[in-house]
Amino acid sequence: MVWNPNRGPRAEGGFVRRLFARNPHWKYIAPAMTVLFLLSIVPTLFLFGISFTNYQLGWKLDRAKFVDIRNYTRLFSGRDVDFWHAVEISLEFMVLATLIQLALGFVIALMLNKYEFKLKPLLVGILIVPLAMTPTIAGQMWKLMFNAEYGLINYVLTALFNWKVTWLSSDMAFWSILIVDIWQFTPFVTLILYAGLRSLPTEPLEAAMIDGASPMRTIFHITIPMMKKLIFLALLLRAVDALKLFDTAFVLTQGGPGNATEFLSLHVYRLVNAQNGLLGRGAAVAVVLLVVVTAVSRLLIRLQQREEG
Amino acid sequence: MRRSDRGKRALTYIGFVIISFFILFPFLWMISVSFRSKADVFDPGNFFASFTLNNYRTIFASGIGRLFKNSAIIAVLSTLVSLVLGSLAAYGFARYGWKKREKRAFWVLSQRFLPPMAVIVPYFMLASLLRLVDTYLLLIICYTSFNLPFAMWMMRGFIEDLPRELEEAAMVDGCSQLQTLWRIILPLVLPGMTATAIFCMINCWNEFVFANFLTTIQAKTVPTSVMTYLSVSGVKWGEMAATGTLSVLPVLAFAIGVQKYMIRGLTFGSVKG
Repeated sequence: MVWNPNRGPRAEGGFVRRLFARNPHWKYIAPAMTVLFLLSIVPTLFLFGISFTNYQLGWKLDRAKFVDIRNYTRLFSGRDVDFWHAVEISLEFMVLATLIQLALGFVIALMLNKYEFKLKPLLVGILIVPLAMTPTIAGQMWKLMFNAEYGLINYVLTALFNWKVTWLSSDMAFWSILIVDIWQFTPFVTLILYAGLRSLPTEPLEAAMIDGASPMRTIFHITIPMMKKLIFLALLLRAVDALKLFDTAFVLTQGGPGNATEFLSLHVYRLVNAQNGLLGRGAAVAVVLLVVVTAVSRLLIRLQQREEG
Repeated sequence: MRRSDRGKRALTYIGFVIISFFILFPFLWMISVSFRSKADVFDPGNFFASFTLNNYRTIFASGIGRLFKNSAIIAVLSTLVSLVLGSLAAYGFARYGWKKREKRAFWVLSQRFLPPMAVIVPYFMLASLLRLVDTYLLLIICYTSFNLPFAMWMMRGFIEDLPRELEEAAMVDGCSQLQTLWRIILPLVLPGMTATAIFCMINCWNEFVFANFLTTIQAKTVPTSVMTYLSVSGVKWGEMAATGTLSVLPVLAFAIGVQKYMIRGLTFGSVKG
C-alpha cells in the first residue's frame, strides 16, 4: 500500500475536480506530462503526415500533394541503394562502437578499481574532459589532427614508423569516426561501470579468492553477473546514442567522401538540406530512423527484464 | 609474491598514463592551437610555436560574446522550466503509487531517445508556421523536450532518498501540501536539484542539431559557430580552437563541482554511486 496523503472524505465538485481528487498524483505530473506529450506527439504526427506527401522546402503547405506510401515503397523497393547503405553502416557503427566502448570501459574501470592511489580524483577528472568538450568543436579538432598532409597524427606516424594514413578517405572515414566516438564515450562507460564496481559487495569476491579462483574466472563468473543491470544500462544508452550519431560525423565528413559515412541521420540531412529540400522523402527516412531507435531500445529493455526474470 | 604485485601496480599506473594521454590529447591540442598563429597550426611538430592571443582577439571582435550570451540565456531558461515541471512530476512519481506508474515513467524516459535528426523536419515546419524560427523561445522548447525527462528521473531519485516520515510529520504539524513541498522537501533536495540543473545546462550548452537547423542569426549558440569558421579561404582553426577552449572551461568547472553526482547524472539517476 502506498502512502497517500489525500485519501480522505470524498471530494465534492465537478467531474474534473473529482477525477483529480481520485488521482492525487495527477496534479503533480499533469503539467510535465502535458508538455512532454505536446512536444513529442505533435511533431511525430506531423512527421508521419509529411512523410506521405511530396512536400519540398520553401513550398506553401497547400502545394504539397498526397502521394500515399510512395516515399516508403521507394525505400523498400530495394532500388534506393543510398538508404540501405545508410541503414547498414548505422547498425554496423552501433554494434562496433557499443561493443568496443563497453569492453574498453570495463577494462579501465577494473584497473581503476584495483588499487587505491592519491591521484585517482585527477584521473576521474580527466575522464570527464571528452564529455565536457563541445562535440562539434572536438570533432573539428580531430579533423585537424586527422589531416593527411599537416595533421598531427600522421606527423607522429611518419616520424615513428615512416607511415601515413589518409584518415578521411572513403576507406578509412568510417573507422576515423569510430575512433572519435570511442575517444568521446569510452570514459562515459568507464565512469558508470567504475561506480558499479565500487558499490559491489566484497564478500563474494573474497570467497572466490579464498577458493583459489583465478582473476579471470572471478571477473566472468562473479563480477560481470553482479553488474548485469549497469552493463545493460550502459549498453542501452550507448547503443541508442550511437544510432542517433550526427554531430561528430557531420563536422568530420558531412557523410562523405561520396556517401561512405552517410549514417541514417546524415542521410536525412542530405535529403532535407537547403540544396535538395526533399522534406517529404526525408521525413520517410526519419520515420524509419525513429522506428529503428525505438525497436533497438525496446529490444534491449525487454532483454534486461527477461534476464531479471 | 610481493614483488610481482609491485610490478603489476607499476604496470597499471603506466596504463593510466597512456590512457590519460590519449584522452587528453585532443583537448590539449585544442588549447595549443588556440594560441598559435595561422602558419603554426599546420606545423604540428613545432612544439615551441610562437604564442599569440590573436585568435581570441579576433573572435571577440567578431562578436562571439553574443553567441555565449545566447547559449547562456537559452540554457538557463530551459533548465528552469524543466526543473520546475520535472521536480513536481518527480514528486508525483516518487510518492504516489498507481497501476501504470512505471509504464509512464518509461514513456518519459523514452522521450530522451528521440533522435534530433528525426524530429528536426516537423519542428522546422511547425516553427516556420508559427514564425518561431531563430528565436530563443523555439530552442528553449526544443531543449525542454530532452531536459524535462532527465530532470524528472534525476529528481525522482533524490526525492525517493528522503524518508516519508518527514512529510507525514510536517502534515501532522499542520503544514499544507504546498508548504510541505516548499519548506520541507525543497531545502533537502536542493543539492541534488543544483546538480540536476548543472547537467541540464551542460546538455543545452553543447547541443548542435536543433541549434544549427532552427536558428540563423539572432539565436545562434556557441556549438553552431563551427559552421561560420568554415570559410571559402579555408578553415579558421585557430579561432575555432579559441572558441572551443572558452566554451569548455565553464563546463569543466561546473562538472568538477558536481563530481559527487556525476554517475547519477550520466545514468538518469538510476545509479546512486
